[in-house]
Amino acid sequence: MRHTSTFERVLRGTAITLVILFFMFPIFWIFLMSFQTNETILRVPPSVVFQPTFSNYAALITGKLETAAGSLEINFMRNLWNSLFLSTASVAVGLLLGIPAAYAFGRLKFRGSEDIAFTLLSFRFAPPLLVLLPLTIYFQKLGLADTYFGLIWVYQLIVLPLILWIVRGYFEDIPADIEYAYRIAGHSWFATFRKVALPLAGPGIAAAGLLAFIFAWNNFIFALVLASADKQPVTVGALAFVTASGIQYGQVAAGIVLSILPTFALALYAQRYLVEGLSLGAVKG
Amino acid sequence: MSLKLTDIVKRFKTDTVLDGVSLEVADDETLVLFGPSGAGKTVLLRLIAGVFDPDEGTIVIDGYDMAGVEPEDRGIGMAFQNFALFPHMDAHANIAAPLTARRDTTTAIKTRVEEVAKLLKIDHVLDHKPKELSNGQKQRTALGRALAGEPSILLLDDPLRNVDAKLRFEMRLELPRLLREQRTTVIYVTQDYKEAMALGDRIAVLDHHGISQVGTPEEIYLTPRTTNIARLFGDPAINLLDVTPERGESGVHALLSGAQVPLDPGYSGLIGRDCILGVRPEAISFVDADAPGAFEVEIEAETPLNEKTVTLAATRRHREILISRPGGTPGPDHGTAHVAIDTGAVLLFDRATGARLERQPAQQVSQGESA
Amino acid sequence: MADIARPKPRKGFRISRGLLPYLLSLPALLACIGILVPFFTAVAYSLQRYRLSQPWARRWNWGENYLNFLSDSSFWNTLKVSLTYAFLTVGVELLLGLGIALLLQKRSRFNNFVSIMLLMPLMTAPALASLMWKLMTNPGFGILSYFASLIGLEDFRWASSPQTAMLTVVLVDVWVYTPFIMILLLAGLRSLPQQPFEAAALDGVPRLFVFWRITLPMLTPFLLTATLFRVIESIQQFDIIYAMTQGGPGDRLTVFQVEAYLNFFQSTNVGRSAALLMILWAITYFLSNVFIKNWLKLREKQRGDI
Repeated sequence: MRHTSTFERVLRGTAITLVILFFMFPIFWIFLMSFQTNETILRVPPSVVFQPTFSNYAALITGKLETAAGSLEINFMRNLWNSLFLSTASVAVGLLLGIPAAYAFGRLKFRGSEDIAFTLLSFRFAPPLLVLLPLTIYFQKLGLADTYFGLIWVYQLIVLPLILWIVRGYFEDIPADIEYAYRIAGHSWFATFRKVALPLAGPGIAAAGLLAFIFAWNNFIFALVLASADKQPVTVGALAFVTASGIQYGQVAAGIVLSILPTFALALYAQRYLVEGLSLGAVKG
Repeated sequence: MSLKLTDIVKRFKTDTVLDGVSLEVADDETLVLFGPSGAGKTVLLRLIAGVFDPDEGTIVIDGYDMAGVEPEDRGIGMAFQNFALFPHMDAHANIAAPLTARRDTTTAIKTRVEEVAKLLKIDHVLDHKPKELSNGQKQRTALGRALAGEPSILLLDDPLRNVDAKLRFEMRLELPRLLREQRTTVIYVTQDYKEAMALGDRIAVLDHHGISQVGTPEEIYLTPRTTNIARLFGDPAINLLDVTPERGESGVHALLSGAQVPLDPGYSGLIGRDCILGVRPEAISFVDADAPGAFEVEIEAETPLNEKTVTLAATRRHREILISRPGGTPGPDHGTAHVAIDTGAVLLFDRATGARLERQPAQQVSQGESA
Repeated sequence: MADIARPKPRKGFRISRGLLPYLLSLPALLACIGILVPFFTAVAYSLQRYRLSQPWARRWNWGENYLNFLSDSSFWNTLKVSLTYAFLTVGVELLLGLGIALLLQKRSRFNNFVSIMLLMPLMTAPALASLMWKLMTNPGFGILSYFASLIGLEDFRWASSPQTAMLTVVLVDVWVYTPFIMILLLAGLRSLPQQPFEAAALDGVPRLFVFWRITLPMLTPFLLTATLFRVIESIQQFDIIYAMTQGGPGDRLTVFQVEAYLNFFQSTNVGRSAALLMILWAITYFLSNVFIKNWLKLREKQRGDI
């Protein structure tokens, strides 16, 4: 080991402190704001000393916003529910479609399989509006405009490539002999897929599902273009909420906290797989 | 059940792995598929098992053409070289795999698994996952899985390759009995000639993408079809020396170290032809200088193994030969010595093709025989 | 050989071996074909004069939308703003991400904790991140506006001022996406073989030299993958900019997708919007081809080339 000088250690310590400060402060500050009333938020100079209040969260959860001008209906809970439903359903559909395809690409390898896999991957990189704008017109015609079904379908654009490429890697990592052994023992192709391939790729499937959920949850543009108020997830809803609530900054902050909490929790739970997911299965963490 | 392969060709992209393999295995026979690594043994097993399809040729099991028949419908049991156990199932479930496929009752499965486990002496670890098993236990579990379904054909892909020497020795003694008890057709792949000789009713030598000889262990050891096969069987390896048989006063002989080494009179048709003389190290013995057929060698090194002593010696023209004698028997370990070759054990191969040349018993020339 | 028979067919439904992979990937493909159709529609739109407000005037004008761009100053502005944004964000994120990765390189409980903590911005929806920064840069009560005033920048307007709007959105992008580069490079650094470093340490090679001649070259595949990935996403950035300023003030932040969105929904000029997106698509298509090549190499190396 090299000798590290005191100077170097101080330098490193300072650098890490600055990094943590920069990346953590906004979250910390918004978190504090969410427990404050407008009165304390608007103080100059700002201070971290205040009487915490849960009124912001209470207002969001009950859906009643008390303003000076009177009581206002807010639908933030609806947005939260939309986010949950859209993300869960998209991931479920994505897994249903993606796992068999990942198995076909990863294990069976067939003529054209690589081309198809790459085409699916390239969807991930195309500008989403390129697809979304014509789709608004199509969806009007098909009656899919502003439906959960239509949204879930479009969400496959982000969910499917992710699931496909992560799960494919896990299928590739299962030694082929293990599957051959099960077939030779007398089990059909499907039984082998269900009893051997699926359980062995289980961790990868779980990781892909969690990550796809996070990406779906954080998506903004799809719902902005295709969903009206009652189908909007939190990302779009929160933006509208800023305008609707006028100057109720504490509630906006509380809304943000509620919206980012689920992804933080999932990310913490799935941290082992984050690197793999973020690199679409290329780098193992 | 019987198995018949006809003109099997298998290519991977542009590599031809098997090029026209034909082979027949009789009911209840144990056939050893022997060959160096990369010869295509494992691929051949997989074709029989049905996980790969041949590009050309037919595979017939018990009279049925197997083209398009899925692996699960072929009635085959297979043990893999790397075991290929199901890592998420315990040993019991691993062995039970062929039985659950047939939807046997739970009790029937349990009985059969325990029976097999007892036979293989792994009944005490049935609730262990593969990663909790020792290498030997893994190997026995894999074998148990192959046997449990009482397959009509058992494919064993070098099952002793990945186990330690002691276990390999034990299993080599145990396997023949085990396989005989199964009363099933067995194809056993190995790279170890001793294993091949110990286990096989017949041995098929797979070499250079094709079968180069099929025969009983004795046939292959004593009358290998080519120098290549001769080299693959036997440890220490057979001595191969370039000779040109000549006619001498007492019949046919070859010149070694300036001495005339008598050859079987059946070889008299080969006089003047460029040959390779093959003689196994145990067919050379130290003799007195005036013994018939004796020639002089310079001892270079001696390696005492337990049951035998191997001597490396050189002829006058610096051609090295190996001499093997039973361990504990006296023999020179340095300087010059004289050796003689057991004439009956001498094989001659064509120098250009490496093919063994037959003796011709009809052409008896004279009575010149070594004492 | 006369007695070779076909085996008795098994009961039950069987799928032929050649067909199976196609059947398995078909549902996923069908779902995506639904997405390919709009793509071709967009190509058609881009070759039309098409305004939603004047549907009667819709007609093919072939390359006219593209040709118009040549003399269209707002198109050049869009291109300039998009490229500036991509260049600034990725440049800063790369330097910062590499720096942090090097700081956290050693595996220790503290370093792992910090690296997990730093992932939180990345897990924040970019649109919500913009909202957070909006609250912090509010001229009335924003903490960052207050900090600015402390260092003498009275009335620092952040995103609402044409001079600092770009800086503000770049800052948000850096806040969200630096952890992405950091975590990929960290994984890369930790996966490097140790022998060259040990040998260099034994020989007393200066650390700066080790960094330039050993660390960086070995890290290149990771750097390349992370950079390209980010460039592709950054040049398409919509969420952060739209949530922050909707492309304003004026046309300061009208990057490709924001401009296309506004063209479509505000000026209802479908043809121009589609043409803009086609140009963006051409850029990203080129970049993503380069990316996929690198990404695949990295994937094979990391997976031990199966």
